[in-house]
Amino acid sequence: MSAAGIGRVFVILVVCVFSSCESLFIGGDSYKRELTVKLYPNTTPSGGELLHVRAVGGNDTLHFLFCSQGAPTLLIVHTNSSSSTVKVNWPEFLARNTSGSLTVEPQSSVLYSTAVVFSRLLEYDDENDTAEAKSNFFPAYKLKDFIWTRMNLSDSTATLCGSPPRPGNGSLCLQLSVFGSEGRVDLEPRLLHSANSSQLEVWLNGLPPRSNTSRFMLELEAVGGAYPLSKVDVRKFIDDEYTPSIFQVSLWVSSPNNGSDILGFVQWKPVAYRTSRPSLEDATPCRNSDPRQQSGNSTSASSALIKAFYSDPAAMGMNVSFGIAGEPYYNSTMFLSWTMLVGVGSPPIDSFSPLVIGILTAGLGIPIVLLLGGGVFVFIAKKRESSVAGYEPIN
Amino acid sequence: MADFEERGTLLGDENEGPLAGRQEAGGPERPMSAICDPSHLLHRVVVLVFMCFLGFGSYFCYDNPAALQTQVIQDMNLNTAQFMQLYAWYSWPNVVLCFLGGFLIDRVFGIRLGTIIFSLFVCIGQVIFAAGAWANHFWLMEAGRFVFGIGGESLAVAQNTYAVNWFKGKELNLVFGLQLSMARLGSTVNMNIMGWVYNKVAVAVGSSGHTTLGISLMIAAGTCVFSLTCALVLAFFDKRAERILQKEQGRTGEVIKLTDVKDFSLSLWLIFIICVFYYVAIFPFIGQGQVFFIEKFNFSPAQARAVNSIVYIISAPASPILGFIVDKTGRNIGWVFAAVIATLCAHMMLAFTFWNPWIAMSLLGVSYSLLACALWPMVSFVVPEHQLGTAYGFMQSIQNLGLAVIAILVGVIVDIRGYLVLEVFFCACICNSLLFSVMISLPAGEDLNRSAAARAKLQKEMSTDAE
Repeated sequence: MSAAGIGRVFVILVVCVFSSCESLFIGGDSYKRELTVKLYPNTTPSGGELLHVRAVGGNDTLHFLFCSQGAPTLLIVHTNSSSSTVKVNWPEFLARNTSGSLTVEPQSSVLYSTAVVFSRLLEYDDENDTAEAKSNFFPAYKLKDFIWTRMNLSDSTATLCGSPPRPGNGSLCLQLSVFGSEGRVDLEPRLLHSANSSQLEVWLNGLPPRSNTSRFMLELEAVGGAYPLSKVDVRKFIDDEYTPSIFQVSLWVSSPNNGSDILGFVQWKPVAYRTSRPSLEDATPCRNSDPRQQSGNSTSASSALIKAFYSDPAAMGMNVSFGIAGEPYYNSTMFLSWTMLVGVGSPPIDSFSPLVIGILTAGLGIPIVLLLGGGVFVFIAKKRESSVAGYEPIN
Repeated sequence: MADFEERGTLLGDENEGPLAGRQEAGGPERPMSAICDPSHLLHRVVVLVFMCFLGFGSYFCYDNPAALQTQVIQDMNLNTAQFMQLYAWYSWPNVVLCFLGGFLIDRVFGIRLGTIIFSLFVCIGQVIFAAGAWANHFWLMEAGRFVFGIGGESLAVAQNTYAVNWFKGKELNLVFGLQLSMARLGSTVNMNIMGWVYNKVAVAVGSSGHTTLGISLMIAAGTCVFSLTCALVLAFFDKRAERILQKEQGRTGEVIKLTDVKDFSLSLWLIFIICVFYYVAIFPFIGQGQVFFIEKFNFSPAQARAVNSIVYIISAPASPILGFIVDKTGRNIGWVFAAVIATLCAHMMLAFTFWNPWIAMSLLGVSYSLLACALWPMVSFVVPEHQLGTAYGFMQSIQNLGLAVIAILVGVIVDIRGYLVLEVFFCACICNSLLFSVMISLPAGEDLNRSAAARAKLQKEMSTDAE
């Protein structure tokens, strides 16, 4: 379609012009962090590595710990010193018997810590196309039993793939990206991240479904010492520029005493994509259940990192289900991807892009200016006319 | 559908039908019952019923894509840009046909055969469209919309010609108003019923998919067959009336001369620009509005279709009332200005707030009707009578060109940048319309903004001067 092609080129050209001015407009969060990456490889047959990313800011440090020993876990520790470090007793860590094998030194500098554990992948048969997710569940995939590959590191991203213990194709992959400054990843849903957050993308590729009408759910557990993530807020906003047709963002927050201060969060847009090159027509809505208390001990047992860091963890579990009634089933593309941000402090807030502000200013401003200018001009002209004393005709 | 109906109201007053003059000359030779007597009101009311339903099918099927947006996109695996092609292909043939419609009816086919041919195009076009969905070929669906477009707008010309032929004077305004209301009724019924039809077919077939879509569209084609039947019946009545009353076949009375274009004044070109910039913010928006209401306001598909159709529902009663008001008060530019500002407010509400969209869409419906009543008569104030046909044809043509191009652009914008940018784009178009409606008061403000009383006085003076 040449007409559609020309239209596309025109819009992209306008977008490029405005995006190149974007750096002038982002005044918001210019906080930057220095990133250093360290990988603890594991040569034992059980696999499972530990990735440590140290993000150092002006006077604080964020430690990101990503572990594939047992259920994949992301742990974020926020300390108020720029020289804090992580000490790992590797043999004790692998033994998974005691807590305290992973510590942050100095202990007193730890301000806040939060962890997210990917515990189970649930599959249910949605024969009536209602997407209710209450019955017809197949036996769940326990992610702690998956066979995980080595972490693939590049820049500041780490990719981890795992397949179920049964032989066969298909895998569940996780990609962690840690950022040193504010920005936006180019792939949809184009979440805005700050220097205090990391992005985790989860995707299911080629895993054979157990029925033609099955849909999937992912179970997450949030672990924290004193204040785990407890409730999910849904915020509406009018700008869907970066994720067309999505006008909400969901936040799983930890706020002590139901105050307005947010200590830690998991943020996502309620959309999942059915192809690896996401676009509007491949989007499928996703919904979450209310977070419920889980047993901290069973979470410790499934994840080595939780066992190592927390002595008495409190856990809250939540399910994210993909697809609603009327949407295509998983087997239409055999692919599902979902992205979330995990971070500490206040979550990043989206704002209008320069493109929208530019069009608004030009589109509304120019006519108003012209109207006012024209009105003034006409007023002055009329005054001048009436002040000129001309000869009046006799009849 | 482009606003052909509104301009028909204005030509009607100038062309009193041949039936009027010939009534005394060739009366019926033997006494007939009232209902069979072509000159009697009762017979003409029966003919009016068929005349109104003549356009029902084409207006019903024009907005089928909008009513079934989610189903079309899902079953045929489209993105929004491809979906909007269905509207673009309807508009492309009308860029040219707006000039040719009157000519074809007057010189080539005659009103009776012309109406039947255009109804056939509408019918065949919709059948091809449905067949394309059934066979899962999108290119065939686009071809179907193209054929449908060839018949659609020209059928409106034919419908107006029949009306002028059978009714005269004050009756004519009422008839045009009724035809317009029937057209809007067709659009409304389509929006609210097609979803239900699709669901019922899906249950019968067993699953949704392109086959279900094809069958639903074939059922919609039934309305086109009904309109074709009305065309055949009208041809029969018209031939019979011609024989009994010994009158000529009706003509459109329009004269299209392309060379007149160089004589168009600046204010006329400004009117064209206002028209284009305004309508591209209405029809393409309704065309893909269903998904917008579902996603942003969490409406169910049925609610989204209902709120999408509110513009047409309001337009049906509001157009005659607002037309009466504008006729009585004059000051057309002021009304155009008010309508454009109201539309801008409506789009800004939809873009920047989560307020109930029923409010914004109702405002949109009222302002759309107001603009139609105020803008189209302005053409007759700035153009001499012998050029009116060409001016209106050109306005329709540019309007269709704008709709065809912008429909595609709308789809692309939604796919890559989402609905806020789309609404901001619509606001920018409306602002352009606003700008030009202010600019037009500079060269021709006095002329176009006269009150109705002043205009009547001026016409009286001009006719006494001429004597």
